[in-house]
Amino acid sequence: MSPEEIQQIFFVECEESLAAAEAGLAACREGTQDSDTVNGVFRAVHSIKGGAGAFGYGALQAYTHTFETLLSDVREGLVAIEPELIDLLLRALDTLADHVEAAREGGDAPDDAALIAEMEAAMAANLAAPASPSPVAEIPSDDPPQSSEAASEDPDFGLDLDALLDDLTADFAPPPAGEGATDPLDMAASQGTGTWPVHVRPKAGAMRNGSEPLLMLRDLAELGGRCVHCDVSQVPQLDGFDVAQGYLGWTFAMPGEVTEDSVREIFDFIGDDCAVALGADAQIPEVELASPAPQPSGQAANGQGADDRGAALEAGPSRTEAREPDEAGTAAPSPGGNDGAATRGPVAAAPAAAPPAAPVAGQSIRIDLHKLDRLIDLVGELVIAQAMLVQRLEGAGVNATEELSLLESLTRDIQESAMSIRAQPIASVFSRVPRILRDLASSTGKHVRLEVHGETTELDKTVIERLGEPLTHLIRNAVDHGIEKAEDRIAAGKSPEGTLTLSAEHRSGRIVISIADDGAGINREVVLAKAIEKGIVNPEAQLSAEEIDNLIFAPGFSTAKQISNISGRGVGMDVVRQNVKELGGRITIESTPGKGTAFILTMPLTLAISDGMIVNVGDQTMVVPLAHVVESLRPGEGDVKGLGSNRRMLNVRGQFIPVITLGEELSTACNATTPEEGVLIVVDTESAGQAALLVDDIHDQRQFVIKSLATNFRPVEGVAGATILGDGRVALIVDVDGLVACALPAHERQAA
Amino acid sequence: MSKNTRILTVDDSASMRALLNHALSTNGFEVSQADDGVSALEWLAVNEVDVVITDINMPRLDGFGLIEQVRGGTRHRDRPILVLTTESSDEKKARARAAGATGWIVKPFDTEKLVAAVRRVAH
Repeated sequence: MSPEEIQQIFFVECEESLAAAEAGLAACREGTQDSDTVNGVFRAVHSIKGGAGAFGYGALQAYTHTFETLLSDVREGLVAIEPELIDLLLRALDTLADHVEAAREGGDAPDDAALIAEMEAAMAANLAAPASPSPVAEIPSDDPPQSSEAASEDPDFGLDLDALLDDLTADFAPPPAGEGATDPLDMAASQGTGTWPVHVRPKAGAMRNGSEPLLMLRDLAELGGRCVHCDVSQVPQLDGFDVAQGYLGWTFAMPGEVTEDSVREIFDFIGDDCAVALGADAQIPEVELASPAPQPSGQAANGQGADDRGAALEAGPSRTEAREPDEAGTAAPSPGGNDGAATRGPVAAAPAAAPPAAPVAGQSIRIDLHKLDRLIDLVGELVIAQAMLVQRLEGAGVNATEELSLLESLTRDIQESAMSIRAQPIASVFSRVPRILRDLASSTGKHVRLEVHGETTELDKTVIERLGEPLTHLIRNAVDHGIEKAEDRIAAGKSPEGTLTLSAEHRSGRIVISIADDGAGINREVVLAKAIEKGIVNPEAQLSAEEIDNLIFAPGFSTAKQISNISGRGVGMDVVRQNVKELGGRITIESTPGKGTAFILTMPLTLAISDGMIVNVGDQTMVVPLAHVVESLRPGEGDVKGLGSNRRMLNVRGQFIPVITLGEELSTACNATTPEEGVLIVVDTESAGQAALLVDDIHDQRQFVIKSLATNFRPVEGVAGATILGDGRVALIVDVDGLVACALPAHERQAA
Repeated sequence: MSKNTRILTVDDSASMRALLNHALSTNGFEVSQADDGVSALEWLAVNEVDVVITDINMPRLDGFGLIEQVRGGTRHRDRPILVLTTESSDEKKARARAAGATGWIVKPFDTEKLVAAVRRVAH
């Protein structure tokens, strides 16, 4: 994995963290202010900070540091959660999102000075309070007690351990060091002026926590140190020997070029559990036996924790039980910390105590999307293979109904669960909306309340990703054009604050997303006048209310009296509809004057598998995507009228729509030469209104897996792709929009 | 050492795991990954490891909770455990040590610092 790829992961993570923080703060505002929720927000910001540091985004890191510190104060209860604070945190979060964006795009970091000052002010408010934490900060981990009592100077080498020690120390110092009972200082001095002594005595705790003092001696030797003395004077008789105690002390002669810092660094981890004294004036620190060991005065709460643990270690089998109170004991006295110890009590002891704001950090694994797509492809093939098998067996007269239906239901289950892997809750799109509304509130002065329903509704990841833009545009549009100014709302007897309702739900295999405002509704007179003025519709045209509403999707249409910087970004509603259409979706409008407007998006759950109508045209089998099909009918006598020399129109309940002979357009022989001989499929297209496709017969309606023609062959006009049918034959999928647009002369197209 | 040092990295951030994995595996360590304390414990129940590197603030079971459980168990209780911490204050170190950590790695870390810290505790 390249560093760039890792960075990409980081930015994906940032998005997740931002969404989690947003959700958490929203929950706080709604009154859910338990420690899990607050900690979730903290952790989100903390995680961005960690990554920012690791990837060298200085501005982002500096900003998140302030943000995190404030959140830490909030988490510890030092700053009260009040509406103003939540508002500040939300604004800080918006700026954080901008920071992330700047880091990702390499742009300029946003101006955060004012916000940082505000956040610091929020912190400073509590700094003056007496509850100010961290009086215990100074623990002399680097300064072991300089015990200079001459306990170790009495070399008592009348022991058989001598040879043993020789072996031990020979590992560290190339020449044999345990040469005898010489005074260590003399010994060190005798090594020449180029060396300086290091005295080490591991204490009882030095073996705790997976530490291994031997490794530190090894590190000293690696720095070039030579063991010149080992103090064994405190080693007791065997019956009094406790393996957990530190009886031995060593003196190493370090080369002159080795710095004190590099030696101290070796003992950085072990801290107080190994006494170290540096320099010629120092001596091997005295032995500290564990049992009644008086604590050095500086050691407060944390040291106590350490001791408890040492005791627990000796207690043997009952240690596990002893942990529980120990846990609470160490978690409680930690007021000043940012790193999470303060919350581990609730997290570890009662994971389900309070319901979290949202299931943000579920248990999940990350999979390479290509692997997943491959799986889904294969499942698609499986569906086809299963259909082929069914067809073959039926053809051969094999009666295996039970087994086949079992296979079929299993295949369907596999397909559904494979698709569900790609599915994500729409919350990831909806969660960006509060930010958009806050931005809009500051630029338009319109305050909008957000209501969200069905945010757990799942749909395909690709659809979700590509839904963001049209949805954003629709929301901007709703606030900009839909919701009235506060004074107009009051005049109309509404609450001054507008309401935007987002909802998502599954309906018959598709997902229906609605963006509804409680604004003034579409002013149809203005829209119609504008469309006539722009030449989009004929002045004499008689349009239904629905048709007028749909005019706002026409290219080049914009009703804003002056182009605002909100909706009028050169992106019209036509682009929104185009985006939705590209995803295989449709968009409709429901508007009531004075009550509001709702845009309703009907999207497919997935792009990989679609529903289609299998039709026969001559010797060809084709697929018409069901998303386009309005109805199918066998025309009766007189339903189809000729128009000019070679065009025909179908009368559908008084409305005439053009008839397109599918065979002609695709240059295949069509058995049905007149509409009465075949079947007409009424399709709805985005750019050319409705049309009726003439086919020989409708064969079936089934799911199909789209295979791209463009990647496997070349793009073909009027054909959206290909699929494999149950009998193994390839069928082309009709590109209804392209085909109809292509087949009809421009003037025959209806305004959508 | 004849065989590679086996390391378990525990972090809820995928980018941090990827960074650790990248830095450690390019230096010849054998790296496994877990995304929080609970999954780390599940992994440790059936795998051997030489060094554990864990983040502190994680969902479900945080780093201190993980250390607590490891030290309280039998199988891995003497394993060196390094915690990833964003601050290098003595207070933080003392707390990490009190919680049962063998040592710490201060974030942001560079590869040398990381590898040196692992080597210092690897038995």
